[in-house]
Amino acid sequence: MVLTENGSLIFRLRGVLEFSCQLDSSNETQGQSAICKSFQALRSRVSSESLVFTLCNSSVLLWPNKGLQSTAEHLTEGTPCRDIQQYREAEDGGSKKSKRKDKRDAGPSVVNLKLLWEVTESGESRALSLCRVAKQQHSARMPLCVDCVFSASGQDSLGSVCSGLVGALCGQLSDMEEVVLKYRKGSSLLLPQPFHFQLPESSGLVTVIYPAGVPDSQLLTVREELHGKYGLPSDRPYFRRANAFHFPDEAYKDGYLRNPHTRLTAPNVEEAKVSVVRGVYSYHHYMQDRVDDNGWGCAYRSLQTICSWFQQQGYTDRAVPTHTEIQQALVDVGDKEPRFVGSRQWIGSIEVQAVLNQLLGVTSKILFVSRGSELASKGRELANHFETVGTPIMIGGGVLAHTILGVAWSESSGDIRFLILDPHYTGGEDLQIITEKGWCGWKGPEFWDQNAYYNLCLPQTPKTI
Amino acid sequence: MGRGYTVEESVEKYLTSLSAAAGSCKTGLLIGQCSAQKDFVVLAVKTPHRESEGASDSRRVLGPLDDIDADWVAEHARQVSRMLPGGVNVLGLFLITPPELSKEAQNKLKGLIFAVDKCISKSRLWDLSEDDVTDRVTLHICSKTRKAICKTYDVKDPKCSAKPADWKYLSCISSSWPVLTCSVKVDLQIPVTESSSEKCMKHGLGRWAKQIEAGLCLINGRPASDDSELLSGSKKSTKMSQQALQVQILVTEEDPVQRCSAVVQASSGSVHVRGTVHCRAYIHTNKPRTRHAAQAIKRDVVNTVSNRVEMLLEDLQMNEGGPASEQQDLPRRVFAPLPGSGLTVCDYMFPDETAADVAERLKEMLDWESAEEDIDTSVESPACRSASVLEADEGRDDGAAQDVPIESMTEPVKQQKTSQYYAGVAVAAAVALLATATSLLYLNE
Repeated sequence: MVLTENGSLIFRLRGVLEFSCQLDSSNETQGQSAICKSFQALRSRVSSESLVFTLCNSSVLLWPNKGLQSTAEHLTEGTPCRDIQQYREAEDGGSKKSKRKDKRDAGPSVVNLKLLWEVTESGESRALSLCRVAKQQHSARMPLCVDCVFSASGQDSLGSVCSGLVGALCGQLSDMEEVVLKYRKGSSLLLPQPFHFQLPESSGLVTVIYPAGVPDSQLLTVREELHGKYGLPSDRPYFRRANAFHFPDEAYKDGYLRNPHTRLTAPNVEEAKVSVVRGVYSYHHYMQDRVDDNGWGCAYRSLQTICSWFQQQGYTDRAVPTHTEIQQALVDVGDKEPRFVGSRQWIGSIEVQAVLNQLLGVTSKILFVSRGSELASKGRELANHFETVGTPIMIGGGVLAHTILGVAWSESSGDIRFLILDPHYTGGEDLQIITEKGWCGWKGPEFWDQNAYYNLCLPQTPKTI
Repeated sequence: MGRGYTVEESVEKYLTSLSAAAGSCKTGLLIGQCSAQKDFVVLAVKTPHRESEGASDSRRVLGPLDDIDADWVAEHARQVSRMLPGGVNVLGLFLITPPELSKEAQNKLKGLIFAVDKCISKSRLWDLSEDDVTDRVTLHICSKTRKAICKTYDVKDPKCSAKPADWKYLSCISSSWPVLTCSVKVDLQIPVTESSSEKCMKHGLGRWAKQIEAGLCLINGRPASDDSELLSGSKKSTKMSQQALQVQILVTEEDPVQRCSAVVQASSGSVHVRGTVHCRAYIHTNKPRTRHAAQAIKRDVVNTVSNRVEMLLEDLQMNEGGPASEQQDLPRRVFAPLPGSGLTVCDYMFPDETAADVAERLKEMLDWESAEEDIDTSVESPACRSASVLEADEGRDDGAAQDVPIESMTEPVKQQKTSQYYAGVAVAAAVALLATATSLLYLNE
């Protein structure tokens, strides 16, 4: 495990706090004050001495409100916070592969903490009593899943980090209170859920509370406010749930590789400007999802990669479409006969454009080159696309389809390289093989069939948040 | 190869004196601690004599064995198990019969063992784990020959047959058993409905019990989750002094069910249990594991709260609903040393009782004379009720409709609390009355 020196750390505290309150069904204002009181009680509990943090994957316990009492001898209030990483038990693995990955990771390390309550106490005790209140009411109970982050540099003291986390926790409870009150309907309360977002030109994370069960489409005004507050342009989403920050230590549950191109070294082109896709996409290729599309499905897979980009940048909630859904979409727009569905017929850039429009409401520009050799001269146009739009490009021609993720283009010499994601790969999700064998790699202009014609589909982004 | 019971010598003396006394059959409880390897019996207590309240059926003279009322024995066992600290349980029963009844004695013992187990586990809020020993010991003693036969039955299996077990006496078994202590803060708010307030209470307490059970336990600052030994570095000294171990319990409030919204239920009121309880558990010295010690103390935490709530509700029902004030003090826990051992037993003292009442109960339930001075009432603080405390407590519900004292009820007669125990059987059989009584209390329209 690589320890960051004075590098930055993200401390992430998660836990569950049970919220409960009694609501008088007939009295609106009583409900409001009851909810406020319950949150106030939670905030005081969080500031009390019974709050305990435990370092995940270790037996270290910390009492942040008790002068940072801890079960680890060498951790005190003044200890630099990076020292806490030493106590983490090595997770299984630590193979050569992951060590290599660590070195390339420029991002901050995440230290995960969990929230616990101490129910035992020493000192003054109160006699046990039982109170009964008789009143027709509604009892509401829900578990609040808190998720706070606190960024620190390695040499910041552990004491300051812990008080920062306690402060973040209180702040989060207040934010949750606002959301619960805002979306309350009588005695129906929606669960407040925290999401973290990383904004451009900022190293810290912004935490926003959204009510569970309310889709992004109904939260537009909330996002408009946030865009205003943080001075963000209103032409692309930053605060949709899909835009939530992905913590480096959490694996993606669906198993697809994300952004394999970030593992590559830059191509060796003199004075070249490198322009690549922005954001996150998943690598879709032959044989995935138990679909044997070897030999015919390359354009479908490129289309899936593009759809995954739109979904992960928050432009759509729609899941990445299957081959069948893609074919059905083409039938629905009248482009194909119904028997197209279930067939193994190829599709091209025009069909990709049609499906993106039909399923995601995304328009695309089509770029045509009559000979593959002309692609070498499209450097400026492609660079401009990646700089301003940033979506992956599907290119089809001859008998093959590929995805272009970026260009390295020198304005002075005209030298060009293309960052290609190849959907023809039939193996497993092995990042090392994929990057080493060139399934994702930088290719020169000779990669294209010099005599064949090519159509490129350049998806455009809707101006929406 | 059956189980092996190591028994305190004082138990032998007690059983001998019981056998010698003239009379018919006698039953009683055997109390101690089980572990995977060895079992220890530290105390034997005879079943108290039942004052016939005209309930016994004397028309048919079936014989002294049939006179033994299984419900009565079980109820005594249930109430005694309330007096035992964590780790110490009712392990079984003894039966002393004259020689001619020796044959039927085993059958009788089997029936009693199952009845006792059923009664004790009825109100238990925690589940048995894989580690728990489900064998219960029976000891049959012939009053004439003083011969004792020891067998065990597995209470998990009603069809099981008796297995032979070893019974041997030793002195000072428990004098150096380590004691685990902690004080636990309780703050529970349980919504109740008119029709099923008892079920709601049990459900609410059960949820809390599961949190405690799943909690992380620290013993003298070290986590107690793995299989490590509790008493590390202990030298082979038989006269070890008793270690006192401080316990801390840390819980999470996780709800396994994922939801989008709050769980809302209509209720006719809520019950709030608040305060601090002192908890205690003992563990044997035969290479005990930390997780068994943790389990023993956690169970004591759950038991002491649920026992007290149960006792208060029983008391209210006994006194015909009792005073209809909102705040009731739950009885406070007091401890008394068990002579000849390192253990203490506990009892619960209602606010209007004194140490003398406790001593009387100890005599009644555990059949021994204890000195009043020996009863330690300092462990938990007495209730101090003042108007300001009440108001602070009820801050949650401003201007809420309060419990109106029901004028039709008469002021309860202050009965001797000891008489409660005699009617314990009636309580066990008439649980349904409880629901009615509490629903009357919620009558507030």
